[in-house]
Amino acid sequence: MIAQLAFYAFAAILLVSAGMVVSARNPVHSVLYLVLAFFNAAALFLLAGAEFLAMILVIVYVGAVAVLFLFVVMMLDINFAQLREGFQRYLPIGATIGVILLVELGIVLGGWSLAPQSAGLRAVPIDPNVTNTVQIGRVLYTDYILLFQASGLVLLVAMIGAIVLTLRDRTSSRHQSIAAQLARTPADTMELLDVPSGVGTKGIGFLRPKVKEPAKVAQDNHGHIGHDNHGGHH
Amino acid sequence: MNWQLALPEIFLSCSAMAILMYGVFARPERSFVMSSMLAVGALLLTAMLVLSGTPGVGYNGLFTVDAYSHFAKLLILVAVGLGVVMSLDYAEHANMQRFEFPILMLLAAVGMMLMVSATSLMTLYLGLELMSLSIYVLAAFARDERRSAEAGLKYFVLGALASGLLLYGVSLVYGFSGSMSFAEIGRAMADPKTASPGLTVGIVFIVAGLAFKVSAVPFHMWTPDVYEGAPTPVTAFMGTAPKVAAIVLLVRLLSDPFGALLGQWQQLIVLVSIASMALGSLAAIGQRNIKRLMAYSSIGHMGYALIGLAAGTGAGVRGVLIYMLTYVFMNAGTFACIIAMRRQGRNVEGVSDLSGLGRTDPAMALAIAIFMFSMAGIPPFSGFWGKYFIFTAAVQQGMWLLAVIGVLTSVIGAFYYIRIIKVMYFDEPAPAFDPRPASLSFVVGASGLFTTFFFLFPAPVVAAAEAAAKVLFR
Amino acid sequence: MLFATAVFAPLLGSLVALLFGKQIGDRAAQAVTIICMILAAICGTSAFVSLVYGGGAPGVVTLATWVSSGDFSVTWALRYDTLSAVMVAMITFIATLIHIYSVGYMGHEPHGSVWRFFSYLSLFTFAMLMLVTADNLLQLFFGWEGVGLASYLLIGYWYHKPSACAAAIKAFVVNRIGDLGFALGIALIFVVFGSITFDAIFAGVSQHQNDSYSVLGGTFRAYEVIGVLLFIGAMGKSAQLGLHVWLPDAMEGPTPVSALIHAATMVTAGVFLMARMSPVLEYAPHAMAFVTFVGASTALFAATVGVVQNDIKRIIAYSTCSQLGYMFVAAGVGAYQASVFHLLTHAFFKALLFLGAGSVIHAMSDEQDIRKMGGIWKKIPLTYTMMWIGSLALAGVFPFAGFFSKDAVLEAAFASHGGFAQYGFWCGILAAFLTAFYSWRLLILTFHGAPRADKHTMDHVHESPLVMTVPLMLLAAGAVLTGFTFAPQLLGEHWQHFWGAAIHNGPNNHVMHDMHEVPGWVVALPAVVGLSGIALAYIIYMGMPALPAQLAERFGGVYRFLLNKWYFDELYDRIFVRPTMALARGLWQVGDATIIDGIPNGVASLTAQGAGRVVKVQTGSIAHYAFAMLIGVVVLVSLYLIIR
Repeated sequence: MIAQLAFYAFAAILLVSAGMVVSARNPVHSVLYLVLAFFNAAALFLLAGAEFLAMILVIVYVGAVAVLFLFVVMMLDINFAQLREGFQRYLPIGATIGVILLVELGIVLGGWSLAPQSAGLRAVPIDPNVTNTVQIGRVLYTDYILLFQASGLVLLVAMIGAIVLTLRDRTSSRHQSIAAQLARTPADTMELLDVPSGVGTKGIGFLRPKVKEPAKVAQDNHGHIGHDNHGGHH
Repeated sequence: MNWQLALPEIFLSCSAMAILMYGVFARPERSFVMSSMLAVGALLLTAMLVLSGTPGVGYNGLFTVDAYSHFAKLLILVAVGLGVVMSLDYAEHANMQRFEFPILMLLAAVGMMLMVSATSLMTLYLGLELMSLSIYVLAAFARDERRSAEAGLKYFVLGALASGLLLYGVSLVYGFSGSMSFAEIGRAMADPKTASPGLTVGIVFIVAGLAFKVSAVPFHMWTPDVYEGAPTPVTAFMGTAPKVAAIVLLVRLLSDPFGALLGQWQQLIVLVSIASMALGSLAAIGQRNIKRLMAYSSIGHMGYALIGLAAGTGAGVRGVLIYMLTYVFMNAGTFACIIAMRRQGRNVEGVSDLSGLGRTDPAMALAIAIFMFSMAGIPPFSGFWGKYFIFTAAVQQGMWLLAVIGVLTSVIGAFYYIRIIKVMYFDEPAPAFDPRPASLSFVVGASGLFTTFFFLFPAPVVAAAEAAAKVLFR
Repeated sequence: MLFATAVFAPLLGSLVALLFGKQIGDRAAQAVTIICMILAAICGTSAFVSLVYGGGAPGVVTLATWVSSGDFSVTWALRYDTLSAVMVAMITFIATLIHIYSVGYMGHEPHGSVWRFFSYLSLFTFAMLMLVTADNLLQLFFGWEGVGLASYLLIGYWYHKPSACAAAIKAFVVNRIGDLGFALGIALIFVVFGSITFDAIFAGVSQHQNDSYSVLGGTFRAYEVIGVLLFIGAMGKSAQLGLHVWLPDAMEGPTPVSALIHAATMVTAGVFLMARMSPVLEYAPHAMAFVTFVGASTALFAATVGVVQNDIKRIIAYSTCSQLGYMFVAAGVGAYQASVFHLLTHAFFKALLFLGAGSVIHAMSDEQDIRKMGGIWKKIPLTYTMMWIGSLALAGVFPFAGFFSKDAVLEAAFASHGGFAQYGFWCGILAAFLTAFYSWRLLILTFHGAPRADKHTMDHVHESPLVMTVPLMLLAAGAVLTGFTFAPQLLGEHWQHFWGAAIHNGPNNHVMHDMHEVPGWVVALPAVVGLSGIALAYIIYMGMPALPAQLAERFGGVYRFLLNKWYFDELYDRIFVRPTMALARGLWQVGDATIIDGIPNGVASLTAQGAGRVVKVQTGSIAHYAFAMLIGVVVLVSLYLIIR
């Protein structure tokens, strides 16, 4: 009885906060509602007896992902009014399609009934003899090891992608190259001239140092403006 | 559990990671070429592993190796290999010599191999995502070029939508059949009369998600833009291997677990196929940019391949496999020629830039002419045989209308393919292109030889395709 | 062995010229291709002689296995029977003469490119030989498309002429439409007979008599559908009414090409197909009636157009069209032997006419308009004689070759009594009259009367070199001799002995016998109308040179109608070409204003090609694409729920 009450309470809060995530005007509020939604989902997991998943959800999603979101939202200046404008512009046609689809799915799901043996057909039935941590471990690392590793590869690709699309060599920064400094000889940098007395700079002009500029690190040639202007003050 | 079933995939992923480590620590000037070479080597070894693999089902029924997956995997590996070779020279000129490029291609290949071996909806989805994510990054690889970045973004957003549709379909199918495994789903649907409408709606959504990947109408809209915007070797890559993987997957999915529902999805595939053929052949007529033209051409080709699927027989599947084989070589060759279209170090993409190529570079003009004739389906080039097997399969099933529309659109399609030949041979010459690097000549030559002389030795290929098709239609 | 050599020698010549032409030069390429052709001609002729007169046995020369998969297996093999032997002998002989003639005709071309021409010519010959010797339909289709490809290359040989390019593409595309029918016909044959090898098909003919096939909402006998589909293929290649539009335009190619492709060989491929498939077609009476009808209409139509054309090559081209119509009439009434006989004689005298016309054009400094010729018969007497012989043969004057074959066609048409056959007979008689008329119109305007060319051209008029005139004379000999030497053998009492099992006449088909028992006036009528056509042309063009212009003015409507070839090109342009182009444009840039109005091009348009084409489906906007996908899904789901 209490469990049922708790279920409906948590589920209701979960739905409301999920709705608020999309509809809140302030993006920071959205993220906070998201955190609330995660907490309630974790509570639902607890009720279902999946305490390991509940804890993981709190630690990973609330502790790491949501906080990251919060940082990103605060750092980026996203103009939500503009986004909403697009939303309104496409609302009529979007709504039409959505309603048609909804009606059709309604028709389809109207004929839905649970097969009597449905409980037994579940992919991973609960085994009451072991803790659910063990059970998750078995599912992840034994039964679905292939998929687990494939997911790892997907994440690897995501990481490579993030790096390859954003990492840039700072071409305009000047690192100290000790080897180059040591290899320099006076002849590279100095020139001795006989200067007759009384001639001054008017006669011989200004002499510029012969120092060779270090070669550019990479020959990236376009698109750097706006990213690399701050390279000079190392 | 027989983990060795996935040995080629495991080997290829490990090689990709090893090359990644090499690339990180190697000297930046050399890392690109070296890692590309290593990638080609890894692909070759993987192909050998595939060849020596034995059929079987493993990983709790998630993963299956059979003659069908063998055929597809070898074709995919060849296509990826051609893609890596083609990018060697382009990367140098377009300033994208980064070692991640071949690595992403390898990882995409792993995803595709998973797709063609998938016998569970989850394997299917993960393979698809692994492939797609790699290609999103590849499409945006020339990140400093606005067009490339935009192509990557566009493909990513629309691809995410398609993945959403696919996942929704997967969840419907799971909900109505109670399983993710192909065998179980097949058992749940053995009797089409009792199959719930929810299942069939689920199939529509899954087909929509996969049709996006093969760029079939009406999920084709991204194709011209992304083809045009992405760096050309990436376009070439996108146009070959992923198409093979997606269509092979679609065929397996529809004829294996959903085989009993043939009557339900057949109309759908017929519709998509006709729309693709019509749009592919008609919309290409007005194109001036050759990459856009190839995009529409690939839409049309996918329409033809779908005819074989719509036939719903072993002969149809055999036709699809042969068609994809010939398609890969024609496409790779054509794109290698497009990559070679460079003047004073700048790549050009207009059809008019080919003017008078017959006089300035007869070898390349001949190659393009062969590919165009082949795409138009003119014997004895390989493209004709692909169409031939597809159309006979359709006719055997009494699908006259489909075959007639197919031949009609290929007649219309012949118009724009032959227009290119006309431009090359009969127009006033434009300035000559820069000399062609050996890597591109290799791809053009290999594909050209295959396309031209396929008709002399089709028997082994047809036999292999036949054996592959027997897996699905015993 | 002889037979295989005859088929593959041209391929060898072609490959050598194509691959090494640049290195070895024009002279050597010409020499190689011609030597290979002569070899082929010797082998081809001896294969023919040994089969028909030497008591050789017909058979199949298997070369290699081609495709083998399941129940579908095809081999590379050459079929050696009277029909293919006759065709091979004729093709190799005429192609050799045309190769030799081309040496002279292409003499003025810039050096360093003529090897290409000879390579194409040999390639074409090979493909044609492949077509006629095929042992199965797939190989036949290979040759069929091969000649299409080679003719595309040859018509477009002068690629700097835009009209030549357009003609090449037109020929190709129109032929593809015919091929569509042919390919479907092959597919249906495979469905019905389970094989595409001729032996297997012919063996199964009696079993599948009553098979039916449903198509286009009706159920028909399978044989009828096959017959019609194959004939559509033949219509494309043989330029029959409806798909004839490419042939006159194809005259843009060099004249030897016109002689080889558009007179002697390729265009007759359709007729050959009818003869080859006779065992099946014999049981498709309705399809055959259709063949007769189209053939007869073409014969008449092309003859009417030929009367008013002014380009010397176009007149001959329409005449070819018309003569092909005769051959189909003969095939349609079941007299395949007569149709092949006419094919044979026609090949000689039409090649002669084309090459003679080429010689005239050569002499007139590339002038092709007969209104700008005249008065040159004394300057080029040899060519003039040759043209006379060719025209006499074409008009069917005794004892030239055309007399025998045309008479045979018309007698067969009269003898077979059906309604369509009678239509064929009377169309043929009318066309025979017109043929004689326009042939003499051509002769008189070209060679007689006052010179209408400028003085400079007239001074240059000269007889062609020996390398061109010798082939002309050989062809002329053929145009005179083939008639009375072959007529008794091919059509006479012992025709069955000659043809063997190569052509099949059904048990109810007595046309081969009946055609010899027609009333006397039927035999005489073609010759009479031919002679009266000649007489009329002589009276009008020699006697009253002003009359044609007055007639053209008086009957302006009819004249323009004929001059514009019954407006077929305009009609096709209106019906097919323009709507296709418009549809293409539409699909590509349909205004999406009706769906989502006034949205500028979203994200900086990738489709940056046209600032001018602002509205189109392919907007470049992600949102639009996403909506298109979603709408697609919804439509598919809805259709699905409705269809279920």
